[in-house]
Amino acid sequence: MATLTMVQAIARTLAEEMERDERVVVLGEDVGRRGGVFLATEGLLDRFGPERVIDTPLSEAAIIGAAVGMAAHGLRPVAEIQFADYIFPGFDQLATQAAKLRYRSGGQFTAPMVVRMPSGGGVRGGHHHSQSPEAHFAHTAGLKVVVVSTPYDAKGLLKAAIRDDDPVLFLEPKRLYRATREEVPDDDYLVPIGKAAVRRQGTDLTLIGYGTSMPEVLKAGDELAKAGVSAEILDLRSLVPWDIEAVTRSVAKTGRVVLVADAPRLSSVLGEIAATIAEELFDQMLAPPVRVAGFDTPYPYAQDKLYLPTVTRILNAAKHVLEY
Amino acid sequence: MVHETLPVMGTEWFRPFTEQSIALLNEEGEWIGDFPLDLEEALLRQLYRDMLAVRLMDERFTVLLRTGKISFTAPIAGHEAAQVGVAHALRRGHDWLFPYYRDYGLALALGVPPVEIFGQMLATKADLAKGRQMPCHPNSRVLNIFAAASTVASHIPPATGAALSMKLRRTGQVAVCTFGDGATSEGDWYAAINFAAVQQVPAVFVCENNHYAISVPLSCQTATRTIAEKAHAFAIPGYHVDGMDVLATLYVVREAIERARAGHGPSLVELVVYRYGPHSSADDDTRYRPREEVELWRRRDPLARYQRFLARRGLWSEEWEQQLRDEIAQELAQAIEAAEHAGEVPAEWMFDDVYAEPLWHLERQRALLRAELQ
Repeated sequence: MATLTMVQAIARTLAEEMERDERVVVLGEDVGRRGGVFLATEGLLDRFGPERVIDTPLSEAAIIGAAVGMAAHGLRPVAEIQFADYIFPGFDQLATQAAKLRYRSGGQFTAPMVVRMPSGGGVRGGHHHSQSPEAHFAHTAGLKVVVVSTPYDAKGLLKAAIRDDDPVLFLEPKRLYRATREEVPDDDYLVPIGKAAVRRQGTDLTLIGYGTSMPEVLKAGDELAKAGVSAEILDLRSLVPWDIEAVTRSVAKTGRVVLVADAPRLSSVLGEIAATIAEELFDQMLAPPVRVAGFDTPYPYAQDKLYLPTVTRILNAAKHVLEY
Repeated sequence: MVHETLPVMGTEWFRPFTEQSIALLNEEGEWIGDFPLDLEEALLRQLYRDMLAVRLMDERFTVLLRTGKISFTAPIAGHEAAQVGVAHALRRGHDWLFPYYRDYGLALALGVPPVEIFGQMLATKADLAKGRQMPCHPNSRVLNIFAAASTVASHIPPATGAALSMKLRRTGQVAVCTFGDGATSEGDWYAAINFAAVQQVPAVFVCENNHYAISVPLSCQTATRTIAEKAHAFAIPGYHVDGMDVLATLYVVREAIERARAGHGPSLVELVVYRYGPHSSADDDTRYRPREEVELWRRRDPLARYQRFLARRGLWSEEWEQQLRDEIAQELAQAIEAAEHAGEVPAEWMFDDVYAEPLWHLERQRALLRAELQ
């Protein structure tokens, strides 16, 4: 058992999966000699060579598009997009090719591939190094979407994503890459895609979050506990598919829910989950579902910390649903 | 349409970046190559049969459209020599083809059963892709024909990726990727060929240059004189070829494929053709093309030219022509009947193949539709 940061856990997991399955290859900008700009692919080139750790030209369309062809031909590519904000030149390849290959070929061709990307703000990156574009992916049928928030989950979910038979978008909150360390088992464990984690048991209200905002969600839970409020906390971990059983089980119990994430509010994944809760549990709710999301501005530079859902904002929303 | 695998040539005969397009037959059907023709008579005749089959199939598409059985077609006529030449240049079922939406002639010549083609056109159960796409989207896992997408040039980066996989896994395969002239303006085109050239993957990029991207003429698409010369930007060979000459197409593309297979990297091949019809059944080409221009190109018809070539060698006769036409017409009629007979695609197939395993939200939607239909 090693104590690792999230980015260390990712680098180790990539090495383990490449060791386990020779079909696994890594490609992206600076993933070779540099080991990735965040060091998520550190050591892979020396260990596995340039045929399986491919420094690509600076083209997201080439990276994702080539990954589709590699996957269709039988490899298990793991593509790195240097920042989630850079996905857009490759978005056509995701939406047109990766997401629809299985469907449009009637299951004859598939694209089992992973696209990893550092996402989210809180690192003074301005609007082109801070975005959380998961809603774009969630709105595209054929893609699975995962957002991790702990080193343990990063390992288990990355393994599950690499072994999945569908394209998986794997979002890694860059703010959490080195924020904490935790014990990560050496064994070959999987965290299943589609399952939320209960981070705290509670009875008075449910806080649902994922990714970049999880530290604030957990702090809000601590603050509420000090005030005598028992909050149950779910970390969604997967957005497509999202864990409707865990969500409805918890909200049916508490009758109150606050949903938290840093992605912009309009057309967000949180909105979809809130709507589903309202549809399914309307007669059991004690208050309407409330969202605490990113603002609908481009991600600002000077107000970097204010853009992210703050503990205060989460507590205000909790107060609103508790006093409703 | 069965054909023999050709022997690998030992030398490179063709020069890239020629001023004139490479042709091996003149308009009168005379061999003008500076090397001896070395193809078997059976193959020479097969090339004609395949081109004729493509033309007659294309005509059937139009009939199906006019009788309201299909919603769309992308006419092939004028591209027959290019598509049949490419089909015979690659190793069927071994090499991969990444086609675009005008390539049903290529698919037919590669051996896709006509019933599957008409099944796809009609969106019946005879379509291996389960009626998921509009007509004119070839696909066949068995024959390594990557399922075509409508979005122009989006299939080119995947072709590079597949070729990269072929190189890594040393499979001895080549990825052949076809596209129109409009595709060469897309960023994906540059991104894909550049990556392929950097990695020296076994790929051949083939442009069926018919001079128009719907209505936009080549002069509005690019400032270069040819598509082939764009290969300079990637430091790979670019061949400018008369794509209405089936033998020139076959020889040049075959050389590019075997060069790639031998580890010498990708090439770009420009096949100069002309589409006789509109871009698609939804287009009206009289708005942008003078009829005289169409007639000029029709006089260079690839079938007529090749027929003259065969006739000079005593390999063509009116009786054989009639026999071929009757055979092909019968094959096509049977295929259409079988494709229609296969029956409509069930409504619930809509929910299959989105993911490997059904996800809960899709299963809920499937149940919703099922309840509505009961």
